Amino acid sequence: MTMTDRPAETDETGKTGAAPVTADAPRSMAFQHHADTNPERPAGPNVFTVRGLDVFYGDFRAVAGVDLDIAEREITAFIGPSGCGKSTVLRCFNRMNDLIDIARVEGSVLYRDIDLYDPQVDPVAVRRRIGMVFQKPNPFPKSIYDNVAFGPRVAGLKGNLDDLVEQSLRDAGLWDEVKDRLTSSALGMSGGQQQRLCIARAIAVNPDVLLMDEPCSALDPIATGRIEELMKEIKDEYTIVIVTHNMQQAARVSDRTAFFTAEVDEDTGQRRGKLVEFSETGKIFSTPSDERTEAYVTGRFG
Amino acid sequence: MHGGVLGHNIATLDGSPASSPTITIRQLLRFGALYAVPFLALDANVVLALLIASLVGVYLKFAPDCRAPWDHLAGTRVISGFPSNAKLELADVHTAADLRLDTKRLGDERRARRLLLGVGLFSVLASGLIVWVIFREAAEFVLADEFSWSVLTGIGWFPRRGIFDLSTLFIGTLWITGIAMTVAGPVGLGVAIYLSEYASPRVRRYLKPLVETLASIPSVVIGLFAISFISPKVLQPIFGDLGIFSLLAAGLGVGVLTVPIVASISEDAMRAVPQELREASYGLGSRKVTTALRVVFPAALSGISAAFIVGISRAIGETMVVFIAAGGSGGAIFETDPTQPGQAITAAMASLGAGTDSVAGSGIAFQSLYFLGALLFVITLVMNVVSDRIVGRFRQVY
Amino acid sequence: MALPPIPAPVSADLRRRRGADLKGQLFQALLWLSLGIAVAMVGAVLWSVSADGWSLISERLWSFLRNPSSATPDNAGVVQGIRGSFILAGIVAATFPLGIGAAVYLEELADDGRLTRLIRVTVRNLAGVPSIVYGLLGLAVFVKSLGGLTGGSSIISAGLTLGVLVFPVVVITASEAIRAVPQSIRDASYGLGATQWETICHQVIPAALPGILTGIVLSISRALGEAAPLLVIGAAPFYSTGFNDFFEQLQGAFTALPMNVASFARLPADTWAGHAAAASLVLLVVIFAINLVAMVIRSRITKKLGR
Repeated sequence: MTMTDRPAETDETGKTGAAPVTADAPRSMAFQHHADTNPERPAGPNVFTVRGLDVFYGDFRAVAGVDLDIAEREITAFIGPSGCGKSTVLRCFNRMNDLIDIARVEGSVLYRDIDLYDPQVDPVAVRRRIGMVFQKPNPFPKSIYDNVAFGPRVAGLKGNLDDLVEQSLRDAGLWDEVKDRLTSSALGMSGGQQQRLCIARAIAVNPDVLLMDEPCSALDPIATGRIEELMKEIKDEYTIVIVTHNMQQAARVSDRTAFFTAEVDEDTGQRRGKLVEFSETGKIFSTPSDERTEAYVTGRFG
Repeated sequence: MHGGVLGHNIATLDGSPASSPTITIRQLLRFGALYAVPFLALDANVVLALLIASLVGVYLKFAPDCRAPWDHLAGTRVISGFPSNAKLELADVHTAADLRLDTKRLGDERRARRLLLGVGLFSVLASGLIVWVIFREAAEFVLADEFSWSVLTGIGWFPRRGIFDLSTLFIGTLWITGIAMTVAGPVGLGVAIYLSEYASPRVRRYLKPLVETLASIPSVVIGLFAISFISPKVLQPIFGDLGIFSLLAAGLGVGVLTVPIVASISEDAMRAVPQELREASYGLGSRKVTTALRVVFPAALSGISAAFIVGISRAIGETMVVFIAAGGSGGAIFETDPTQPGQAITAAMASLGAGTDSVAGSGIAFQSLYFLGALLFVITLVMNVVSDRIVGRFRQVY
Repeated sequence: MALPPIPAPVSADLRRRRGADLKGQLFQALLWLSLGIAVAMVGAVLWSVSADGWSLISERLWSFLRNPSSATPDNAGVVQGIRGSFILAGIVAATFPLGIGAAVYLEELADDGRLTRLIRVTVRNLAGVPSIVYGLLGLAVFVKSLGGLTGGSSIISAGLTLGVLVFPVVVITASEAIRAVPQSIRDASYGLGATQWETICHQVIPAALPGILTGIVLSISRALGEAAPLLVIGAAPFYSTGFNDFFEQLQGAFTALPMNVASFARLPADTWAGHAAAASLVLLVVIFAINLVAMVIRSRITKKLGR
């Protein structure tokens, strides 16, 4: 729905150098044609371009008409009350909704101007480039080393992964705590440590984008703080999209925020998720354009 | 939910649009019809040879493709750069060709899926074979020249003399099953209620393996136990003129065997009752016995009924205890007194099959083995289906 | 009509009364009784078998274990049974991949269609079929029809029959073990860009390994203890002599420990005192040893999985 042009000067978080996003970015075209006309890197730094996204579970339309642009090397937050489709939209970005066989996606989701849902696209390759961290920490029941090494191994990396594992654990801020017990089970760590392990695991494959689905909701405030720190540190390398229930968290970490809400469909009475407003975080929280946004961020509902 | 049949399903991760890897019922019927023709030609050998050949062919075709999952990854991932800078470098994504679908991997996955479907179908094959083989031979028994429906009644079960009085066997099986469930029912239920409602976790830890030990004792050992312990030391003191072999001894032996079955299924059913129901009952001021009997037991009734039915089914189908302890041999006269030796369906089958009444081989006497097998199969199948239905119908919705 | 109000309690009312819960105490006594009976059953079986077999075992354990069958009670042994059971266990073990493969299919790859439901129902029904009916199946299929391949009434037929017998058990326990692996593990694996097969081979099955192992052990225990199918297939009763080593057993007459027990039990008890019990002890020890080994392996795997 609403879409804003990014201003050429710095926004409130002091970031510079981002080229402007234009509203008329080229839409997805037929496969071969695109390869001909666009051999270089795509022009705009948009990582994701979403237009008219609808997600159906069977006949039930769970999310309706989402338009979004996710910019590169930024943290974008999805906020809103529960049940309004934030996680559903997030899972569209790495085709995790494929795992639910009644789920169906309509509209267009472009990943760097490539149609993500083109039948020729391999979801497995997509997930290599677009990683995910889940709500409840879900380390594999293996050693810490094997957890981090799993992703690179499935990506075909053979041989000695020690350096890679160490670097990933350092990047996730976990190395000092676990360097003496890499072969011990990952399930023996605290919740916050497990979640940082999941982040280390995700960044071990050097993805392009990191999707985070309420990563801190199962953690205590201190662990949450550490993960928010981590996010700000790794922002320079990865584009991050985070779904969060916690408005203040969005205000703390994100550059842009999208506010979702749930509408009740008049005919069926079912709740459907809709994107209400999407702009810079500062603007969403101080001078939102939509009154529903304002009602949510000021705590009048949700 | 798990990534299985219920709840979320692993949809075709390959993203390929149309071809479903599963076989429809229609295809299966066509496949079966192909084999039914030689079946009807009464030569199972040809059919089985065909089946084996096709299975081997399927395996040979698929097996070379079921390689280690790492192998075929080489070349399909766009990777450059290596651990020297400790980063997995991704080539930039220029076009969707970089995200191209790996058709080779898809093909492998599809073939492997079909192979495993074939393995899963093995169970259907085995069932079909059981039914077909047993009923065909049973049919031959019924269609034989010496057969007439009157041979199914008589003075007793004497296959060598062509007398196949079914009621002799049924009485034996009924007595044994009845005695067994009279023992196993209350004892098993009592153990289950104790373990689920009254026992502390520490007691459970020691007691449950003990009950499971009983379950893992082979039935031959219980048969031996019946004639070396139950008969001389338990029964003969009570009934003075009892011989070593009797239906009573066999029934008690089968009862010992059935206790763990009734106990474990009932206990599972009762433990599945949510704690909230018990707490609600205690909250109203009722005692443990009331809660156990009035709340938990009715809530678990479907599972407990299933436990009993499974126990009965097991008792009906138990062979070795009866073979050793009931004293039946090739011929048995119609007998209703459980303190006498008797014969049951299963032990009669064992006698026939082992040829202890020297009728091994062919002939109507031997084919009565399959006739009994068909009867037994139908009885136990019906019981299993009934127990499944009961569990489904009376399942209390929490 | 409303219930009369309960008067405000005096401390005496709330005090635990003795003898009040008569029904509860009676019930609890009944439970203790049934528990006692069950424990007594286990104890009686084990005690009876041990006591009866003890004299034989203490006199000549090694010769009992190493001698073949013989007409004289003092020379008879169960070595053929031990070897036969060993071979049978091996053949049954070879059929485990079938069961595990079927379980993987049902839990990971199958849709919810009619074929899948047919397979599930069939497996459940097969699990409840009496073992002697499997014997009939083996007799007709492996001994008669496939006689050329299996050598007729041979240990291979018996092993294959037992393999079919335990197949449903393996499928059901492996299915439960796979189902118990939380979906979050699979999600994490897919999220890292693993294919379905990689997820199954490298995450799901390793995580389900303790349960699968339990199923395998259960199956082998069951297969080792079954005598009824062996009877029908034609295992040699005790009184066939001949020194059957491994190769002879593979081709011709064969036997197994449960058959030894059953045969001994039917011999006159005065001359053959204790043989059946001793053979039972051997069988029980074998089964117990397998269970123990499996428990150890299972606890080590579980520790490695961090649970």
